Amino acid sequence: MTDTGLTTGQRADASSDGTATSAVTLQGVTKRFPGAKGADPVVAVDGVDLEIRDGEFFSLLGPSGCGKTTTLRMIAGFEYPTAGSVQIFGEEVGLEPPNRRPVNTVFQSYALFPHMTVEENVGFGLQMKKVDRDEAARRVADVIDLVQLQGRESRKPKQLSGGQQQRVALARALVNHPKVLLLDEPLGALDLKLRQAMQVELKQLQERVGITFVYVTHDQEEALTMSDRIAVMDGGKLLQVGGPGAIYDRPRTRFVADFIGDTNLLRATAEDPGSARLPDGTAIRLEHHAAPGSDLMVAIRPEHVGLRATDADRDLTLDAIDGEVALVTFLGNATLYEVVGDRGDPPTRVRIRQGNAPGVQHFGVGDRVRVRWAPSSATVLED
Amino acid sequence: MSTTVPPPEVDPDLADPAPPPGPGLERAAEKAESRRGFLVGLPSYAYLILFFALPLLIVVIYSFATRSIRGRTVLGGWNLDSYGRLLDDLVLDIAWRSLWIAVLTTVVCLVVSYPFAYYLATRPARIRGVLLVLVMIPFWSNLLVRTYAWRFLLSSDGPFTSFLVAIGFEDAQLLFTPTAVMIGLVYGYLPFMILPLYATIERLDHSLVEAARDLYATGWQAFWKVTWPLTRPGVIAGSILVFIPSFGAYVTPEILGGRGSTMLGSYIARQFIGTASDWPFGSALSVTILLVMMVAATAYFRSGGKNL
Amino acid sequence: MSALEMPSSGTEEVAEDSLARPQRSVDRLLAGNAWLVFAFLYLPILVLAVYSFNDNDRVGVWGGASTRWYGEMFTNARVMDALWTSITVAVVSTVIATVLGTAAALSMERYRYRGQRTFDGLLYLPVIIPDITMAVMLLLFFVQAFDLIFVATGVQLSRGVGTITLAHVAFNISFVALVVRARLSGLDGALEEAAADLYASRWQAFRRVTLPLIAPGVAGGALLALTLSLDDVVIAEFVSGAGSTTLPVYVFGALRRGVTPLINAVSVLMLGGSILLVLLSLMVSRRRDQQ
Repeated sequence: MTDTGLTTGQRADASSDGTATSAVTLQGVTKRFPGAKGADPVVAVDGVDLEIRDGEFFSLLGPSGCGKTTTLRMIAGFEYPTAGSVQIFGEEVGLEPPNRRPVNTVFQSYALFPHMTVEENVGFGLQMKKVDRDEAARRVADVIDLVQLQGRESRKPKQLSGGQQQRVALARALVNHPKVLLLDEPLGALDLKLRQAMQVELKQLQERVGITFVYVTHDQEEALTMSDRIAVMDGGKLLQVGGPGAIYDRPRTRFVADFIGDTNLLRATAEDPGSARLPDGTAIRLEHHAAPGSDLMVAIRPEHVGLRATDADRDLTLDAIDGEVALVTFLGNATLYEVVGDRGDPPTRVRIRQGNAPGVQHFGVGDRVRVRWAPSSATVLED
Repeated sequence: MSTTVPPPEVDPDLADPAPPPGPGLERAAEKAESRRGFLVGLPSYAYLILFFALPLLIVVIYSFATRSIRGRTVLGGWNLDSYGRLLDDLVLDIAWRSLWIAVLTTVVCLVVSYPFAYYLATRPARIRGVLLVLVMIPFWSNLLVRTYAWRFLLSSDGPFTSFLVAIGFEDAQLLFTPTAVMIGLVYGYLPFMILPLYATIERLDHSLVEAARDLYATGWQAFWKVTWPLTRPGVIAGSILVFIPSFGAYVTPEILGGRGSTMLGSYIARQFIGTASDWPFGSALSVTILLVMMVAATAYFRSGGKNL
Repeated sequence: MSALEMPSSGTEEVAEDSLARPQRSVDRLLAGNAWLVFAFLYLPILVLAVYSFNDNDRVGVWGGASTRWYGEMFTNARVMDALWTSITVAVVSTVIATVLGTAAALSMERYRYRGQRTFDGLLYLPVIIPDITMAVMLLLFFVQAFDLIFVATGVQLSRGVGTITLAHVAFNISFVALVVRARLSGLDGALEEAAADLYASRWQAFRRVTLPLIAPGVAGGALLALTLSLDDVVIAEFVSGAGSTTLPVYVFGALRRGVTPLINAVSVLMLGGSILLVLLSLMVSRRRDQQ
């Protein structure tokens, strides 16, 4: 799969010279686990092609069991691919053990050695690499400063809070100056406030150290806020790769549209190029390449849909449906409406998310409304 | 069971109507709760006081008593003579032999069991289950019979000796030597070492080994720096479980040992059974061995508590 | 003392090529070691079992297969007496120890009161004390107690089935309590609170909620008690009288005089009993895992 070409929200420097170095390259990577008791083998990762650029914050996003962690573990060297090639900065490492790979991992459970102090944990990798004792001590001290754990060097992991353990895990990996840092849902065990604070901190840290981060998460918000680029996975397959904006605004498949954020999924029938018709008979403008008469699935984000009173002036640049408000949910910073269209059986249902800025017109259940969206915000899905 | 648990009527927590809460009532309710807990345990405690603590006290008392010329124990004329005899050369010889046989048994069991337990713990779950059952069977099987199997194997017209003679070892004699006793002890107590080791290795968080490998450790380094220190509680538990019964062994040296392989357990038994009985001396030996065991067990809990 | 609990074979699968598994060459060495250990554990028992069907008066010389010694065993009055003594002692001591041990476990795990730590120690000591010390203690106790009873009432009691049973209860209480406590401590205390919240009295909560949940632990403890009672030689030898002995004590006594084919057969019988108990324990622990 290739990028859609849309690079909204993507950092410029990663591809400033047009040919960014590839930090991690996966080609046709497949992983099959033997099935339980005579059952068929389980395909955890299925023919993944992927290029992660040097210096970017790259997220592997998907629900649990989608193969994202297995993909990460194959980059780390904890699993060997059944087929395909894993390259780190151009060097084939697919069958190398993890201790011979220039990458380090921050584990989901942190995997801090319980019998060692913070300092010993952080210094472990340098000790294994036989780094000079003085230099190792200096680097350990530096990285402990970096993650703000000064004064806790001789504590055992159990004596630290969850957030502090997380920092130790980070320091233990970063101290080795890995070429790529792999993070397996590192914030999953933290509570919401701490998680949000750590998201910011991690992102800033990544920008400061300039190391390529490969970040596994099932939390779409986390992926959208932190990443330069995101790969969405499901069922072992790579569905879409792109910047957060591209993934969000132009989901390629129904799964991506549904998994990332809230979305309206509408059925439509293709007509001439540039137009289509909803089941209730409404004609809409739509970019598509399908033959007239074929079925389409259209995604429109609720926040891309506007709400007006029916007596408002008709704006011909927008597509519209008239209907009645069926449900109003107050979300604090926004209000979510559900509108049922007047025509069709079943009628078209559309969700609208409207920010609660001053001056915005509010509606109640039963109010007659007109739902409108710009044709450019409607996306045709591939499945 | 019904005698140990009070009938529901006396339950104040559920009494109706509920009394208004207050500091005095709260304390009274807690007190009633404590008393109920004590009453539940009381029959067991009473039993153990009568049939365990009291017998223990009697042994301690006997250890200070005198043995009459005719072998009877005289309760009176309290003295420390029996304890003084612990330093006799004969006793020290036996104690020393018990110690090294027990230590050697423990070491052999550990060396054999650790890789074995590691192998077991790293098999796929369904194979692991079967292998584990194969370890459990000897663990739960009668120790006397299992020791007897070796007596039979090693006896002068037994299959093992016949085999050795057949391949040319005419004067092969294993039975009635300390070696035979050790074989028997290892055979008897090997599962006691395997099971706690297996339990700790199986519980070990695999991601710790992965983390070590991720941080450039080779397989061996990861083992020595992570796996071994983290499974030490299992090593200690297994060692104590093998050492304690080996040190006080009575049945195994009786069956497999000879004149030159008397161990403390059989030496104590000899003070009570047979013609040369000396109850005060046997009691003093028993008290001493019990103290040694308690020191070992305490060490076990100390180290266990520190590491877990 | 985790060894007393049947460890479960965990559910987490170690992947075929996971790093937690040793390298192939090391793995082969480990496998070799494992098969040697299994051979060491099982060959002696197997040889013994085979030779118990040996139709020859000399134990080590094969004289053809027969069940002659089993026939002799079942008609030998002393063996049969000892067998029944063993079974009686084991069953009675197991029943008593299971009730007392379970109560002690409940008292330790579910309540707080003064002196609890002392009783905890008292409950634990019989587990770590060497057999021989326990045997000596109980022998002196019964001798002393029976002397006192004789002086006081003129009745002369003698050691036998009764004393062996009392002695076995003394150590089995602790083992049962140990196993049941492990089960109880893993039990969510909120379940009992939920029962109380739903109007169950304390006794009802115990009968309807706690007991069914710890039942596998209680059964496991009872099986352990049964096994330990059937295994015991040392304590039974010390506290049994001239008239009645248990089967292990009989075998032990016979062994001092030498190895006979009859003892082979008796040994295999005892082994069969043990294996039956293992399989029972496994079934119990499987049920426990399923819950």
